[in-house]
Amino acid sequence: AGKPMGRGAKVVVEPHRFKGVFVARGKDDALLTKNSTPGESVYGEKRISTEIDGEKVEYRVWNPFRSKLGAAVLGGVDNLYMEPGSKVLYLGAASGTSVSHVSDIVGPEGCVYAVEFSHRSGRDLLNCAKKRTNIIPIIEDARHPHKYRMLVGMVDCVFADVAQPDQARIVGINAQNFLKTGGHFVISIKANCIDSTVEAEKVFASEVQKLREMDLKPEEQLTLEPYERDHAVVIGTYRKQK
Amino acid sequence: MLYVLFESASGYGLFEMAESEGIALKKEAIQTAVTDLARFGKICKLKAFAPFRSAVEALENINCISEGILHDYLRDFLEANLPKVKPGKKAKFTLGIADSKLGTQLSETLNVQCEGGDLSKEIIRGIRFHFDKLITAMRPGDYEKAQLGLSHSYSRSKVKFNVNRVDNMII
Repeated sequence: AGKPMGRGAKVVVEPHRFKGVFVARGKDDALLTKNSTPGESVYGEKRISTEIDGEKVEYRVWNPFRSKLGAAVLGGVDNLYMEPGSKVLYLGAASGTSVSHVSDIVGPEGCVYAVEFSHRSGRDLLNCAKKRTNIIPIIEDARHPHKYRMLVGMVDCVFADVAQPDQARIVGINAQNFLKTGGHFVISIKANCIDSTVEAEKVFASEVQKLREMDLKPEEQLTLEPYERDHAVVIGTYRKQK
Repeated sequence: MLYVLFESASGYGLFEMAESEGIALKKEAIQTAVTDLARFGKICKLKAFAPFRSAVEALENINCISEGILHDYLRDFLEANLPKVKPGKKAKFTLGIADSKLGTQLSETLNVQCEGGDLSKEIIRGIRFHFDKLITAMRPGDYEKAQLGLSHSYSRSKVKFNVNRVDNMII
């Protein structure tokens, strides 16, 4: 049984097929993660409380328009490769909006190495990480993983949303340093950040080719319509064993 | 003989590589041995570990490492633990390192030969994978705690002014 969300609407929370992700069923369905810091929102998102066996649990609404990873989950990707206990290297962490949901998913046994170069966003990220102790904030350029090699351990998954023309190379060198053999990657590609002169599909195809050359084997590709235009998310495996 | 330097949030580790049980020090062989601690532990042995004794010391060291600068603490550690090289002679060993810029400095100041190629990279991947198990003094969770503490102090120093986000507007 759910507690009211908004104006008295009945909400029931169900687990999503991805561990650590939940869905609110009500008048409007919503994607959720279990809030690791109950009582607090990170970016003004709605919170939903339910009682499970007399214990109060709070969830945060995961907005697919604010988070490409959220859009990918709602879009129906086959694999997320992040679950409770996972270690994730998140490149292009920005203010920590999306990172906070990954932090909810991986939980206290996992961690998120969150890399962001912009100092303005970095300040918000640092504040977010103060309350969420499974976020390891790294204000540094993802192009130079050697600069932050002392801060990062081996990870299960690399997520990237860096919106740079050399994104594939950035993911490649970070994988070489920090991604386990057989680990996974999830990359959001914004076509006109790579090349605005050719059509999106061609950009995606050439990026996928670049990934292959760095031992990042794509297994799934999904456009992020209707949440983002000319965006695709590519998911796959690093150094896949034959 | 190949030694490998590993820089962590907890301190510096120096590892000694030994060929054993048919695992040659080749990139491909290391790649397959890396995921198995029992196999990797046989070819890669901890020679010495220098923990950071304070948060300040750790921050000073990461600031140097990120810029490819040789900190005194690292120089002293390597001088004390690498085999001695006579002046004017060539070292009989190689030191595997992650960053070639640091390697150049190490070659100049310590007269050691550094290697930063694919073999070193693969070994360092292996050390990173097993690090908290290769350092026996470390308890579960210690490694992540050190990373967390150091990441906050390093990142705070990067965004220097006003972490409390009252931005000074540029009009």
